[in-house]
Amino acid sequence: MADQKHRILMVSDFFFPNFGGVESHIYYLSQCLLKLGHKVVVMTHAYGNRSGVRYMTGGLKVYYVPWRPFLMQNTLPTVYGTLPIVRTILVREKISLVHGHQAFSTLCHEALMHARTMGYKVVFTDHSLYGFADIGSIHMNKVLQFTLADVSQAICVSHTSKENTVLRSGLPAEKVFMIPNAVDTAMFKPAPERLGNDEIIIVVISRLVYRKGADLLVEVIPEICHLYPNVRFIVGGDGPKRV
Amino acid sequence: MTDFSMVNRRYGYLHECKWPLEAIDMHHVVVRKSNAKGFFVYLSALIVVANAASYLFLVKDKSIIILLWGFLMSVLLVKVMFWNRVMKESVVVMPTFGVQLETHYASGRTVHRFIPIGKILKPVLLECVSPVTCYWSLSLLLHGEAELTLVLKELRPPVKMLIPIWKALCDASDIKEFSDSWKDAN
Repeated sequence: MADQKHRILMVSDFFFPNFGGVESHIYYLSQCLLKLGHKVVVMTHAYGNRSGVRYMTGGLKVYYVPWRPFLMQNTLPTVYGTLPIVRTILVREKISLVHGHQAFSTLCHEALMHARTMGYKVVFTDHSLYGFADIGSIHMNKVLQFTLADVSQAICVSHTSKENTVLRSGLPAEKVFMIPNAVDTAMFKPAPERLGNDEIIIVVISRLVYRKGADLLVEVIPEICHLYPNVRFIVGGDGPKRV
Repeated sequence: MTDFSMVNRRYGYLHECKWPLEAIDMHHVVVRKSNAKGFFVYLSALIVVANAASYLFLVKDKSIIILLWGFLMSVLLVKVMFWNRVMKESVVVMPTFGVQLETHYASGRTVHRFIPIGKILKPVLLECVSPVTCYWSLSLLLHGEAELTLVLKELRPPVKMLIPIWKALCDASDIKEFSDSWKDAN
């Protein structure tokens, strides 16, 4: 069972050259799977001129399907529009397992639905937390319930995320695995000695968007610095909430 | 043409090394006749004409123009579906001289394009992705041209039919295949 090699299709609207957590997660997971001897193919939408088939490190094949993104990097949802290309890719690459990423990706939902209709095994990974009250969240949660009704397994990246996903999608908790995001210790390791300072330095590195709590940060920093003069903040990143 | 080297539901592939010069290499990809298509096209044409004729007879105060329009539409339908249909595409490889790409239509018209051997940088097999499908195509990289030149312009045969044509083009333009050049280097 452990020796069986799979041919995996990763589907998401979010992949390189776009840069972010989901993209890096898909890339590093694919590289690790390739090292274990499985075959991995990634399907995403075209980014500008970048359209067609490209090969990345380790023989990772990426299909940049020429569907135009319509809202925040998401492909236009047409329910059956992507069926021909998804089926073509599943058949020509002889895929055995489809892995979709990110609840916000319309391409992921459509591909999972089509793959499940054709009888393929399907896995879904949710990367973010979403709300319950506003109209956008309600709509997305309904779509998620539909897609995840027949998924083989689901993965969440933290306990909070698992709770959030189970509540939003109505999946039984036993079907959801919690696999936290990994840190590459070859690239990131703590300093061998603690840098002796009386100051406490808080480092924040993220995209400065609403979803990451950038507004909260802007409100909290002056208060804390006022209360504790030995605290310093270093903020790295860019985005619309940059002040 | 029943002696195809490789055959598919839609395409047949044929390789010839003909008299008078055995050095000339010809590769043909032929579209196999589909009886169902002919049946449906002629049936639709007949239905259009029959409709026009019955309309004329039942509603007597209309002029014969309607029947003539019916005939015209049927003729246009048959022309579009059949007249401009591609029967065969050929690649004639003449080593040290050049490559001739031919497209033969059902109407008897043939379109030729000749490419001198010095102009070919490399023949490439590429996967082309469209919004609804993905297919293999054989193209030539030419000196001085920014765009790839498709070897088989209209037809899309499966990749196993394209491989012998690609190998013949590589040999003719003196490009060693990747495995060969690795062997030489090591």
